[in-house]
Amino acid sequence: MSEKVRVVVCTGTACYVMGGAELLDIESRLPAALAGRIELEGSPCLGLCHDRRNGAAPFAEVDGETVAAATIEGLAEAIGRRLAARGGSGKEGL
Amino acid sequence: MKGSFVEIGHYNEAKRGERAEGDVFLSRKSAEEGRLIAVLSDGLGSGVKANVLATLTATMAAGCAASNVPIKRTASVIMRSLPVCSERRISYATFTLVDVAASGALSIVEYDNPAYVLVREGSLVEPIKTEIPVKRGRRSGGLGNMAILRWSSFQARPGDRLVVFSDGVTQAGMGSRASPLGWGGPAVEDFVVGAVRAEPGVSARDLAKAVVREALARDAGAARDDITCGVVYFRDARRLLVLTGPPLYPERDVEMARVFREFQGRRLVAGGTTASIIARETGAKVKVELGRLDPEIPPAASMEGADLVTEGIVTLGRAAELLSSRERFDALPRNAATRAIDLMLDSDVIEFVVGTKINEAHQDPNMPVELEIRRNVVKRLAAVLGEKFLKDVKVRFI
Repeated sequence: MSEKVRVVVCTGTACYVMGGAELLDIESRLPAALAGRIELEGSPCLGLCHDRRNGAAPFAEVDGETVAAATIEGLAEAIGRRLAARGGSGKEGL
Repeated sequence: MKGSFVEIGHYNEAKRGERAEGDVFLSRKSAEEGRLIAVLSDGLGSGVKANVLATLTATMAAGCAASNVPIKRTASVIMRSLPVCSERRISYATFTLVDVAASGALSIVEYDNPAYVLVREGSLVEPIKTEIPVKRGRRSGGLGNMAILRWSSFQARPGDRLVVFSDGVTQAGMGSRASPLGWGGPAVEDFVVGAVRAEPGVSARDLAKAVVREALARDAGAARDDITCGVVYFRDARRLLVLTGPPLYPERDVEMARVFREFQGRRLVAGGTTASIIARETGAKVKVELGRLDPEIPPAASMEGADLVTEGIVTLGRAAELLSSRERFDALPRNAATRAIDLMLDSDVIEFVVGTKINEAHQDPNMPVELEIRRNVVKRLAAVLGEKFLKDVKVRFI
């Protein structure tokens, strides 16, 4: 099995109140095929909200790629993309 | 100074069947003088009548001591002004007055309560007491009408514990087969020394509680008299540093990290950016705990050198709100805010070091909750900790 996709969710003030709290529950809300393939991590404020050019809170990172205005669905898509890029087995979950 | 913090704690059990306590323990702190006064008074009889006598006595004793009225005068003022019991035709309440100066100099006056116990380095110490005769009541009379006050004074040393109790403690279990004359002064002394040896760091409140619980057990769980114990404990202050908010100028990040490193005591870092700054400056790693999530309070994190790492505004705001609105905190769900409260309530001196940089993203009108400015949250928190919980609070902006 390929290495897991690293999902980092910002738990800073702005992200948490803008919906980040829900993102931390992602493991139980992803389609089964994806759920086992991520490694979830919380992070203290990533500092992304300080610059509007980064987009809006809440922020998360999927294998280092920043996702702004993140939702469970948005993250699922990004995770699927990463898995597909690694060898094409990620699509089945979507 | 080591051992310079004075913790006062007491515990009480009313006589069975009485709603009011016939013993009163009160303590007062004078912030300007750094002086502490504690009084234990046992009113004649039990219930409301005894409570009135004891409350009057304790309040007068504390008030006179605070205004530096000489002790003989204090005693005669009390004895002249207590109301006379309609059944017994006498007025009477015992007292033990403990006056602690900022220097740690103690002056103790005892009137008819069991003798206090002083525990120093795990052993009993018996200071010399001077007897002071005072005329009892309004009428003049022979020696039989004289009350004897016992006065002692000494310099407290770090770790000293002064234990005062009412006769409900020494007489506990009286008439029982095991102790027909009651628990007795020497046995209470042994118990106190044993409790301190078993747990050298035992707090004033816990020690007072242990004495009262033991006395109650000797009364077979139903207090036959009011049972009260008060403890004055000279110990090191428990210190807590609360670091929150990034400094306005990044050049001061180094100073913030230095404050963190050099602080003697426990450390709470409240703020994600703040935690990242400290982690960067000290080479530590911040790990967010995803174990038990709370929909409103961001999760806590751990970092080497910190006792707790939390998010800033929301968590501190909730802590301030809970501290203002509640008296008890043990039944609340465990989250970063209640863990921060535990740390704060478990400290005597709390130092806030506050970075004042404002995160503009917090001012976004689309935020579903209003995010206060950090400075205001800290002000509210500092006020409630100082005023309601009598913590020694310092706030410094960086």
